[in-house]
Amino acid sequence: MELTILLLIPTVAAVVAGLLPQRREQDAKWVALLASVAALALSIWLFLDFETGKEGYQFVQREDWVDIGAFNLQYAVGVDGISMPLVVLTTALTVAAVLVSFSVTMRPRLYYAMLMLLSVSVLGVFIALDFMLFFLFWELELFPMFLLIAIWGSGRREYSATKFVLYTIAGSAFMLVGILVLAFSANTFDIEQLGQAEFRDTVIPLGWVFFLLFVGFAVKLPIVPVHTWLPDAHGDAPTAVSVMLAGVLLKMGGYGLIRMCVTMLPEQADDYSVWMVAIGAGSVLYGAFVTLRQTDLKRLIAYSSVSHMGLVLLGIGAMGKTALMGATYQMLAHGVITGLLFVCVGLMYERTHTRDIARLGGLARQMPIIATGLVFAGFGSLGLPALAGFVAEITVFLGAFQRYEWAVLMAIWGAVLSAGYILWTMQRVVFGPVRHEWDGLSDQKHWWEHTVVAGLVAAVILLGVYPALMMDYIGPALDPIIERVES
Amino acid sequence: MPFLAADPVAHGVPTIDEAVLWAILAVPFAAWLAIVVYVRKLPQAAGWLSAAAIGVAMVLSYVTLFNVIDADGGVAIHTHEWFRTGLGEGPEDLVVNIGLRIDGLSAVMLVVVTTVSFLVQVYSTGYMSGDHGYGRYFAHMCLFTTSMLGLVLADNLFMMFMFWELVGLSSYLLIGFWFHKPSAAAAAKKAFIVTRIGDLGLLAAMLLIWSRTGELGVAEIQEIAIAGTVPQWVITWFALGIFAGAAGKSAQFPLHTWLPDAMEGPTPVSALIHAATMVAAGVYLVARFFPVFEHTEDASTVVAYIGGLTALMAASIALVQTDFKRVLAYSTVSQLGYMIMALGLGGYVAAIFHLFTHAFFKALLFLGSGSVNHSTNTFDMRLMGGLRKYMPITYFTFLIGSLSLAGVPPFAGFFSKDEILLDAWRENRGLWVIGVAVAFMTAFYMFRAIFLTFHGQYKGGQPVDHHDEDSHFHGDPAHPHESPWVMTAPLIVLAVPAVAAGWFAWDHMFADFINGALPEVHAHGSTFEWGIAISSTAVALAGIFSAWAIYERKWVTSASIRDGFAPLAFLFERKYFLDELYEGLIVKTIMQRGWNRLLELNDKYIVDGVVNGSGQVVRWGSGRLRTIQTGQVQSYGLGLLAGVIVIVVAVYSANPL
Repeated sequence: MELTILLLIPTVAAVVAGLLPQRREQDAKWVALLASVAALALSIWLFLDFETGKEGYQFVQREDWVDIGAFNLQYAVGVDGISMPLVVLTTALTVAAVLVSFSVTMRPRLYYAMLMLLSVSVLGVFIALDFMLFFLFWELELFPMFLLIAIWGSGRREYSATKFVLYTIAGSAFMLVGILVLAFSANTFDIEQLGQAEFRDTVIPLGWVFFLLFVGFAVKLPIVPVHTWLPDAHGDAPTAVSVMLAGVLLKMGGYGLIRMCVTMLPEQADDYSVWMVAIGAGSVLYGAFVTLRQTDLKRLIAYSSVSHMGLVLLGIGAMGKTALMGATYQMLAHGVITGLLFVCVGLMYERTHTRDIARLGGLARQMPIIATGLVFAGFGSLGLPALAGFVAEITVFLGAFQRYEWAVLMAIWGAVLSAGYILWTMQRVVFGPVRHEWDGLSDQKHWWEHTVVAGLVAAVILLGVYPALMMDYIGPALDPIIERVES
Repeated sequence: MPFLAADPVAHGVPTIDEAVLWAILAVPFAAWLAIVVYVRKLPQAAGWLSAAAIGVAMVLSYVTLFNVIDADGGVAIHTHEWFRTGLGEGPEDLVVNIGLRIDGLSAVMLVVVTTVSFLVQVYSTGYMSGDHGYGRYFAHMCLFTTSMLGLVLADNLFMMFMFWELVGLSSYLLIGFWFHKPSAAAAAKKAFIVTRIGDLGLLAAMLLIWSRTGELGVAEIQEIAIAGTVPQWVITWFALGIFAGAAGKSAQFPLHTWLPDAMEGPTPVSALIHAATMVAAGVYLVARFFPVFEHTEDASTVVAYIGGLTALMAASIALVQTDFKRVLAYSTVSQLGYMIMALGLGGYVAAIFHLFTHAFFKALLFLGSGSVNHSTNTFDMRLMGGLRKYMPITYFTFLIGSLSLAGVPPFAGFFSKDEILLDAWRENRGLWVIGVAVAFMTAFYMFRAIFLTFHGQYKGGQPVDHHDEDSHFHGDPAHPHESPWVMTAPLIVLAVPAVAAGWFAWDHMFADFINGALPEVHAHGSTFEWGIAISSTAVALAGIFSAWAIYERKWVTSASIRDGFAPLAFLFERKYFLDELYEGLIVKTIMQRGWNRLLELNDKYIVDGVVNGSGQVVRWGSGRLRTIQTGQVQSYGLGLLAGVIVIVVAVYSANPL
């Protein structure tokens, strides 16, 4: 019931914001803020109420939905130690996304309705316990994303929005086949049961099924070579969408890989393990190399995300307890760090109206607070200890090294490359001589800007110095997966 | 000879309260936090707050030192769990601890770090006064001191690695302190990236040892190396990885290129971080894992030769520098090479002893150069000269530091350098020859700097640019003057250990103390031999005499010498072309214009070509099917979905389960 309320809060907000009368349209942001804060409060309450150390799903609710022969669909929701932190991440970044949108004045009713709908769909993906429900939420997310990029974006926004949708749909077509094959074989769509099922007599070999599911999630993660939608989408999306996209949407891919690919098909995952690890380490390096060539600040961060999500795949592919822990933690860490990066870049863009690195420079003098935030987030991104990314990266490395030394010895070069692109970017954007072109621009000053930056900074530090907070949740949820992998 | 007494010493366990050790970390950290939070409101208080906090940490460090002396340098470890990925039953599960280890080695480091740091903070309140970033400066300095102390006290490799990186962060922030200067921003970036390449080695070493043994604790790893429970190659590669990390931070060839550029930071920063403490962290790290290096001949040999090569290379570059601070910077690289060489030759005591004395006299020399800069507004020695008349305190303290560095008895540097040369003489005559050559060059370039700066006629310094709003230069470079007491007092205080720190060699006092940190001690014989002592003194005096002959008496002009060795001098002046190799060839040409560009084009034309191409196909197809399709993206998606469902249901009904 609690999780259903969590879904309903932004849903209701979307409807209310959408139906506001014309003269009150600027109030849509307050509706969205109220709802997102309420959702965050509820998710934190659930997080605290969650019994750690217990295997299985909690706050479970199941209702029959469709029941036609083999098609036995449920409305089933629940969270375990993997999805619980991701739910909190989603609600927290939704608040951040709403706050950074406060300066949006164009068609606010539709904008905030779409933002709320986006939040609903991502939450739905993380809490769904029915595979078809999962898929519906997965697809639902495309609709608000398409509109948000195509209407409120910049640059080639329609191209980027279309590319995003086509990529995801192509991936999810593969995924849907995989879902149906598994569900018909086990005669259930229940994710919990599928996670314990032995599949026999499938219409296509299980290796293929694994591949189909993998492609669907890999596009979302994204991994090289199905990553080129990400820099376009990020480059042209409004700030709030970038925050949501980098912060939580990419995590749907990693979540799916762990929940579906590894848990449901451990044997096949093990067979493909070396490929996942190779692609993961390859993505880390490929993403980092291409990041070094970027001249657009947002595309640069997008490519760095490709590199960082490669670490998630590396950890998942290595399949050990520590490696999976690292992968899950990397999703959380990347969520808050990259969220903060996009917020700071968004604040700069709002003032300078350019993302061209060559035109920026010396902003540490004109915008000291925003510049400090950007440098902080940059150090988070390059894996500085005491910040979130470090714990995640090193856990992935330690975990994966036990099985694939060569892949880790490749991937650790990402640490040097990330230092390269982050510090070079800082040198060009915030340091160096003052450019008088940007004189008179204001620094961060509104309460919503301060709130969002301070909140994310706190989260990056908290995850960096107190990993046990999340690991005590994630660990017990990984145990059954590891048992299944090992048996 | 009292130097020759070598009775084995029984080591006790330090009884110092764990809370005191945590307080040593917490007090500078609290100061950092306070400055960060209140810096905008009370910038002037930042300096004194920072100095006071580090002063408290210093007092606590001395309390700790005396406690450890009571235990004859023995080991005490206090460790706590930080986080874990599982229940810790199998080797699969990662358990990370956070803990403190105190012993002779860390006690010495504590005292060195806090003492130099305290004096540098006091000095900085004068040197940095009037700077826009006064508060920010002291915040970074507190952060650095906290991180460095954390590194020194860490009891496991994971925690060491964390503080190791945080030290790198503070170094970055302080080198780039004047971030509006493009050269400072570039130098900061270079320092962080180059040291990070070395850090990969440290990371790989950590991954290797953990995956093979499941241990991260310093004591456990030392025991494993001694017991030989893992294959030899693991020990060797672990040691090489640790050394790679050390080579980055301690500026060893081929990763030394960042340190001279790091002189872009404020001079007190150079004194504290890039001379006395952080750059010595690599030496400390190797010393921490010294038992591991003792059990791998291959890795130790690499360490010794890299150290010797670095010492020689850096000393040769220092001969031709015209920038006062760069002479000191290359001298630091060279002296670190000495320490590393000693470690590779099994000279644990010699290396740490040199680290100990070097910290004081090199900090003194850097602060002296800052004092000169404070009065002349330049570091270019060609614009100085004759300053001993105007700045007597700076001159005399600088002279003491130089004599110490040159290795003239009875100054501190003599004793420690002598131990290194003695170890080299016993272990490897080739490296001993290099060591002696470096000793000659060291004496020569230091006194070249002294004669150019303090002797002869004053050449006017660098005129003040009054249009530069970032310049906070107060005085008149045309009329140099002695620095204020907050700057000269630390010079005088540092001059005391620059003379006397070497005397701790007496009666094996220092050796016995820091040997307590090792699980097993192999006797390396006496630490003194008349032959070595006399020969190295003679070499040092010869170096000083040569500098005097060329730069003071001008019997031979320096230009004629340069012409005589033109190709060699050119090589030294261009720093062996390593910057051109790294930045010009590898980073700019091979990576940015080559490989990275290739991958970018791959994304743009190959990957997106396929994507856009399939889009074109769909568009063409939809043109054919316009009568039944709207042409909207959503419709394609729905069509795709519907098609898939139809196919799957068809397959399913054809193959009922």
